[in-house]
Amino acid sequence: MTDAALSQPLPARAVAVPSRRTNLRHLAPWLYLAPAAITLIIWIYWPLIDAFRLSFYEWNMLPTSPMRFVGWQNYANIFALPKFWQALSNTLVYVIGLLPLAVLIPLGIAIYTHDLPARSRNVYRAIIFMPMIIAPVVAAAIWRWLLDPGHGMVNEAISLFGYRPVRFLQDPKVAIWTIIGLTGWKLIGFSTLIFSAANANINPSLIEAARMDGASRWQIIRDIRLPLLRSTILFLTLMTILLGAQWSFSYVHVLTGGGPLGATTNIFYILWDFGFSTMSVGWSSAAAVILFLGFGAVAFILFRLMDRYSFHDN
Amino acid sequence: MTTDALYAPARSHVAPRNRARGKAGIRWNTAAGHVVMVVLSIICLFPVYWMIVSSFRPANAIFETTLWPSAASLDNYVHALKAIPIGTMLLNTFLVSAIVTVVQLFTGLLAAYAFARWRFPFDKAIYTLIALTWLVPFQVVMIPNYRLVADLGLLDSLAALILPHFAGALAVLMLAQAMRSFPTEVIEAARMDGAKSWRILWEVMAPNLRGTIASLAILLFISTWNEYFWPLLLSRTPESSVVQIGIQMFITSEGTAWGPLMAASTLASLPILLIYVVLQRQVIQSFMKSGIR
Amino acid sequence: MNRKTFLTGSLALLAASGALPAFAGEFPATVQQPVTISYYNYNLASAGNGAEATKRMIAAFEKANPNIKVEGVGASSADITSRIQADVAAGRIPDVVQMVFSDLNFTVDNLGAVALEGTVPEAELKQHFEGITPNGLRLGVINGKTYGLAYTFSTPVLFYNANLFKQAGLDPDKPPKTWAEVKQAALAIVDKTKAEGIATGIFGPSAGDWLFQGVLRSNGGGLMSEDRRQLAFAQPASVEAVTMLRDLYDSGAYTNLELQAAMEGMASGNVGMYLQTSAIQGFLVKGAEGKFDLRATTMPRFGDKPQRPNNSGSALVILSRDPLKQRAAWELMKFMTSKEAYTVITSEIGYLPLRTDIVDDPKYLGDWVKKHPLIKPNLEQLAILERWEAFPGSNYRQIQKIMMEGTEMAVFGGMDPAKAMGAAQDNAQPLMPK
Repeated sequence: MTDAALSQPLPARAVAVPSRRTNLRHLAPWLYLAPAAITLIIWIYWPLIDAFRLSFYEWNMLPTSPMRFVGWQNYANIFALPKFWQALSNTLVYVIGLLPLAVLIPLGIAIYTHDLPARSRNVYRAIIFMPMIIAPVVAAAIWRWLLDPGHGMVNEAISLFGYRPVRFLQDPKVAIWTIIGLTGWKLIGFSTLIFSAANANINPSLIEAARMDGASRWQIIRDIRLPLLRSTILFLTLMTILLGAQWSFSYVHVLTGGGPLGATTNIFYILWDFGFSTMSVGWSSAAAVILFLGFGAVAFILFRLMDRYSFHDN
Repeated sequence: MTTDALYAPARSHVAPRNRARGKAGIRWNTAAGHVVMVVLSIICLFPVYWMIVSSFRPANAIFETTLWPSAASLDNYVHALKAIPIGTMLLNTFLVSAIVTVVQLFTGLLAAYAFARWRFPFDKAIYTLIALTWLVPFQVVMIPNYRLVADLGLLDSLAALILPHFAGALAVLMLAQAMRSFPTEVIEAARMDGAKSWRILWEVMAPNLRGTIASLAILLFISTWNEYFWPLLLSRTPESSVVQIGIQMFITSEGTAWGPLMAASTLASLPILLIYVVLQRQVIQSFMKSGIR
Repeated sequence: MNRKTFLTGSLALLAASGALPAFAGEFPATVQQPVTISYYNYNLASAGNGAEATKRMIAAFEKANPNIKVEGVGASSADITSRIQADVAAGRIPDVVQMVFSDLNFTVDNLGAVALEGTVPEAELKQHFEGITPNGLRLGVINGKTYGLAYTFSTPVLFYNANLFKQAGLDPDKPPKTWAEVKQAALAIVDKTKAEGIATGIFGPSAGDWLFQGVLRSNGGGLMSEDRRQLAFAQPASVEAVTMLRDLYDSGAYTNLELQAAMEGMASGNVGMYLQTSAIQGFLVKGAEGKFDLRATTMPRFGDKPQRPNNSGSALVILSRDPLKQRAAWELMKFMTSKEAYTVITSEIGYLPLRTDIVDDPKYLGDWVKKHPLIKPNLEQLAILERWEAFPGSNYRQIQKIMMEGTEMAVFGGMDPAKAMGAAQDNAQPLMPK
């Protein structure tokens, strides 16, 4: 089919485009775009735009109850909540905590295992991809059990070494790191795979040449591999910054409900809390707008940085 | 093959397998690499192992902390199968995941093609807007979308689970990236040949994007299979719901039924686990080949 | 044009018109024509005894009322109110709902709950109410009218592990009755055994404030002023109750475990005492079976002041607007609050019987209660049960959250109780209706 079509000698002459097709040609990209665009507009942008509007009202979504215009009151209420600021700073902790797990460690593993024999390397990669395919709800339930201070395997192991059981999910100082760890557990295989792919795409002749020149392993990594992996590193960093806190949502929801003492709450959980469990559409819409604009600004800055510092190797 | 031929300069290198490993340092490094990877593998595998093993523990030994159960029983499975219609739920989940995957790939290919093939007004802005949907948390759109689904009379139907996923940013962006690195000469050549844009997409581009499409399909299937919050909001009866909701039914504020929960979780993970084990090599390969950027 | 019209047009799907059909006619005496009613129930959202028993009761009801079909809809207890609200907002009004008590006010004010008086003929109501404990009946009364009939409800009881009591040198036949005694006992357990002293279900995302209200009230504290306009959970008596919990925690007697961990800790014998709803009794009994002697006593009191527990759980409420469906809904409600139903609810799902006369009746619960002495403190408290209060207005849940977060900071977070409660009250007051 394709192979055959491509292998045929291509005619060299240019085909004149009939002019009556011009209209269609203008329309063509829009037609191709339509299914995706319409879906995204209906299911994402329309509710989002509606949220902008509703964020200035007090309403509980019921047709029977009045919508009351309250101006900036919902925003003021949210900014006045100590919980909001706690959630905001926790979001930062999530992002910073996830960066090593989603970027640094996978990068290290990818480079480190590159020289392992192909067969064992593939086995390892297959295994560390495993957490990715386990449903978050299932993963959360299993981990809660494993981490239980009374009858969890992890604490059994810890007490084998003579330490007191760690209250992974109950200690306000530890809980957020537990959630970060679980989120990272789910991501590490995926990131490693992406880095491995990028790493494998580096032209080996470059490495060989450097080796000929007497470069050490570390020098090769620093001067050749890392610069060539830069766009992948930037991409995963960007994803982690923008979506890291979102990825941890399931675990927060199932395991801690934002507690203890709000230690594990983040901006997405707050949004859920306002919107779903309290059903106050004004609050949740205002929170959504704050969140969208906030992350949008971060994304904008990061993209600018990325444009400046990345280069594409193909 | 076409793909390899086209991508030859960047991708033809197969890591030399038996490079001289005479130096002791390298051997030591390899050993350390194995140690690191084995530890990591255990961390990744253990919870899965624990889920499966615990699903066979009898009720009175459920909190046993032995690695291997002292006694095995199928009671948990019997209980789980009786408590929820897991067969129907698995079928629903499979249907939803398969349809979402296919449709999203389809709409993604079309949209990506539009970006790769033409320059048109606002193309950059639209591309950015599609990328930005990633930043819209589902918590925001959930309730409005619920009302829409209800208005359409689709509550309690699988269509409600599928419709909002007819397109996704990930598919569009990933495919657009892949198409961008597709040599324009080939497209030009096909066009010269008189091929219409529709045929170029399906007969020239799509087959060459097999790697990307495969890895994307896997990602989409897994993430739809594991989706929880949207189905939770929509679920009215277990018979019309997906398996993640069934699992959640074993966790209640009146206590968690650990044994049946683990049994149901195992059953829910099994299909996808099997697909993964069978296709594992291809999955990894397609990821390695396409490389998500 | 909105999304709805856009989509309905483009997909050519028949959408709900949005306009409510006008219902003519009176509340009929019987259901003469086939009708289907929806029944939102949170037991149906679990996979266990609760769901089994509920399905069986629905089937029995359908058999007894061949004209009525019941469509059971399951949503977990944490989500059911949001779910009902979403469906009302979407124009699909549920007919009968199992509503958590703390949301009852909201249901009446915003979701159009149907008052039984004025809908159901008076004589019929009177006949059905006969035998229902007045304390239980009162729980569903708002502004002088009955909107809900208590369905699955329970009281807070103090579960304790008699084996751990013995190990700690305590007398399991004399369980602690006051908070001071609880502290002593808990400290003895922490000292002499490897177990934790006491855990409670006061805090946590799914707990709301139901257990906390009982603690406040038992010390003479409360949530708000009589006229329900001013918040008052920072008043001295309330702060004193919070300070007691703080002291319990600081002394090491009280362990801060989240819901699942606490339940499993108690069930596996790692916790000495557990103050929680009696509804989890079944789970604890299963864990204790053959391992330790699980017992229960009433909620602790403050010194000589009587304990004043309030209920947890849910009531059945009719939301249906159509008289025929209202009649069908009322039939279902009657069935689900009958002696037979309460026998099932108490013995299989683990709640309290709203009809106390079935407790000693061997035809109903008589034999079961003899075999299950754990239910005793729960029944005792039925006589002194008070109402689970809800904050007024549409922000009631946020207010509750702010209060509970302040309390958590005071008890576990090291903040000064008076300051923490004061700050929470100041933050929440603007959210009260003006």
